[in-house]
Amino acid sequence: MKFITTREDLIKPLQMVCGVVERRQTLPVLSHVLLSLQEENLTLTATDLEVQMKTHTPVRGMGDGGAGDITLPARKFLDICRALPEGAEVQLICEGGRAQIRSGKSRFTLATLPAGEFPSIETRESILEFSLAQKDLRQAIERTHFAMAQDDVRYYLNGLLLELAERVLRLVATDGHRLALCEQVREEEFYENQQVIIPRKGVLELHRLLEDNDAETRVTLGSNFILICTPEMNFTSKLIDGRFPDYQNVVPMSTDKTAVCEREPLRQALGRVSILSNEKYRGVRMAFSQGVLQISAHNPEHEEAEEEVAIDYTGSPLEIGFNVNYLLDALAACDTEQVQLLLSDPNSCCLIRGMNDPSCRYVVMPMRL
Amino acid sequence: MSPALDRCPRLWPRAIIHMDMNAFFAAVEQRDDPDLRGRPVAVTNGLQGTCIITCSYEARTFGIHTGMRLTAARRLCPALVQRPARPRVYARVSAAIMTALRDRVSPDMEVFSVDEAFLDVTRCQRLHGTPLRMARMVKAIVREVSGGLSCSVGVSGDKTTAKFAAKLEKPDGLTVIPPWEARERLRDIPVTALCGVAEGIGRYLARHGARTCGDVAALPVSVLARRFGNLGRRIWLMCQGRDPDRIHLDTPPPKSLGHGKVVPPATRDRALLLTYLQHMSEKVATRLRRHELEAQVFFIGLRGESAWLGERLQTAVPVCDGGAIFALCRDFMDRAWHNEPVFQVQVTALAPRPRRLQLTLFEETASPSDALNVVMDEINRCYGEFTIAPARLLQRSTMPDVIAPAWKPAGHRQSL
Repeated sequence: MKFITTREDLIKPLQMVCGVVERRQTLPVLSHVLLSLQEENLTLTATDLEVQMKTHTPVRGMGDGGAGDITLPARKFLDICRALPEGAEVQLICEGGRAQIRSGKSRFTLATLPAGEFPSIETRESILEFSLAQKDLRQAIERTHFAMAQDDVRYYLNGLLLELAERVLRLVATDGHRLALCEQVREEEFYENQQVIIPRKGVLELHRLLEDNDAETRVTLGSNFILICTPEMNFTSKLIDGRFPDYQNVVPMSTDKTAVCEREPLRQALGRVSILSNEKYRGVRMAFSQGVLQISAHNPEHEEAEEEVAIDYTGSPLEIGFNVNYLLDALAACDTEQVQLLLSDPNSCCLIRGMNDPSCRYVVMPMRL
Repeated sequence: MSPALDRCPRLWPRAIIHMDMNAFFAAVEQRDDPDLRGRPVAVTNGLQGTCIITCSYEARTFGIHTGMRLTAARRLCPALVQRPARPRVYARVSAAIMTALRDRVSPDMEVFSVDEAFLDVTRCQRLHGTPLRMARMVKAIVREVSGGLSCSVGVSGDKTTAKFAAKLEKPDGLTVIPPWEARERLRDIPVTALCGVAEGIGRYLARHGARTCGDVAALPVSVLARRFGNLGRRIWLMCQGRDPDRIHLDTPPPKSLGHGKVVPPATRDRALLLTYLQHMSEKVATRLRRHELEAQVFFIGLRGESAWLGERLQTAVPVCDGGAIFALCRDFMDRAWHNEPVFQVQVTALAPRPRRLQLTLFEETASPSDALNVVMDEINRCYGEFTIAPARLLQRSTMPDVIAPAWKPAGHRQSL
């Protein structure tokens, strides 16, 4: 394999795929990136056996024998490209199990592994396909991903639920303490209802790489994989084989207390109070009454913070405790000027949603004070 | 000591008293049995115990010390009298002493262990008089409420020097090191003689040519800080008689909460080990519940000939139920234990947190063990530990419980 390209044309695709490469490996080839050259198009692939990321970049071939497949150590390749001067021209020549990178007066020889050893995730037998704008998928992930669990023994919570039902595309994430739900109503109806759980790592990579544009994004579901194709990349992930908890049951249907307030002042007040909340448990006390919400927190050093926020509140006064981080996450994800907080009692959840925005709902369970 | 010190009108900027009971457990035994007074006494864990927990000063003159095997001690002193420990009695005496000192000398008191306490008397100087006078008060109060037991007392301007001073004269001593003399008095003392400076730190300092407190004080503080962080900075100050550590009034919330027990040497009997592990699981769970705590990560360990075989295991949700913890033990035994000889078992709840602090969305079907535990705890509170318990514990070890050095008169450390 032989080609010439610029530093910039290599860095961007390498950064895209390298997020998938784990720092520690048992299988040496997993620390490598697969390069496939066909005419003037170089495809780069990285995988951790669960998530696979593929992207491409234009290169100039260098005569005959240019096409072919090799694997290179992913991080070293990226580090070398990054360290080269801006705009530098880069040549890659691969012969007899060694790859040489040349740029100006620099020479780097990297070890390669046979491309045939590079594993790929099986994506045959698709069940369902649909398309949407890249920015819509990005936004739905943006507004839900933070509520996923991390290293929970209930492994099905360490991921994001993607559900297709009638005309709705729905993403749901929960860690058992709070839940985020985002829906998009679509023009055409899904013929088959589907529920799949995408593993956490894949979701975070998607969140990092999806762009805020209208480009068509094609989603393919199989019985044990999801394939998402944008003009820049092909993302494949295996699915978590498990039953997601019945989230419908925990989104409250009726509450007897409603508070409406400006989102930004509330978020800022909570942010300030959180400084003096217990570092480990993050509890804040919220006292709702006619016209005013009092927020307070204290820590084991007996330091205290108090704030007041103007609210439009109907219902009897209520005192309730929350993990302030859960509230801040939910408020950051709503993007309306005003938010609605629906409550019932100190032992029941709070439903947060943007004013006049039915697409997203956030459920937060209280803390005992 | 100069008698002038007692009349000195100068107020100390900071005054700390350290109280250390003399051969506490052995002294309680001698107090309660006149036959033992003046005789060498060794306290062991029950009559089966072979390791000396404490011994009387009469025994110490033979070279017997804490941690020595009974057989070795008998070779040094054939007349040695063995007494089984009575942890509940010691706990009661200790609690009485600590309460009296807090009520009558200074509320700023830190119970350092079952037989040691620090009192910050800085703010009591106008009320009670000089630090020396207050040290005498401490000795008198201890003698009075404990039924005649003696203690050694050290007085200085910081905790480390006060503790060092208390050690200088034993038994029944009283040593005052005024804060302005502390640096000078510590100068030629080996740094490892200070509380909290272990062998490892001592070796590191020795490589820098620092053996005494004076040597360490002469080192740049950065040498200690680079290697030991804040502890290093503290040691540097300690060596100058300026230990900044304050009196810790309340017991901080537990970082872990565990129980362990010695098993018959080199046990390979799986069923027996499981019984020990269940015994410890139930003790940990009961204690978690008593303090309204729960935990999700547990350390389960077996001590082998030379090393621990142990793992941190996680339950699905935070628990305080012995059955759930024991299930982790079974899982651990199935996977990790391959018939190695075992000498000790340990079950520890790591990072316990207040129970049901954060409510959850998907209520795990309220486990029947919750209701059972409430009833079990109530029965055991009335009729004694393990009056009702899982049937397997009928086979449990009859070795008595040991009082931990970190025992406190109140809070989560008040356990046997």
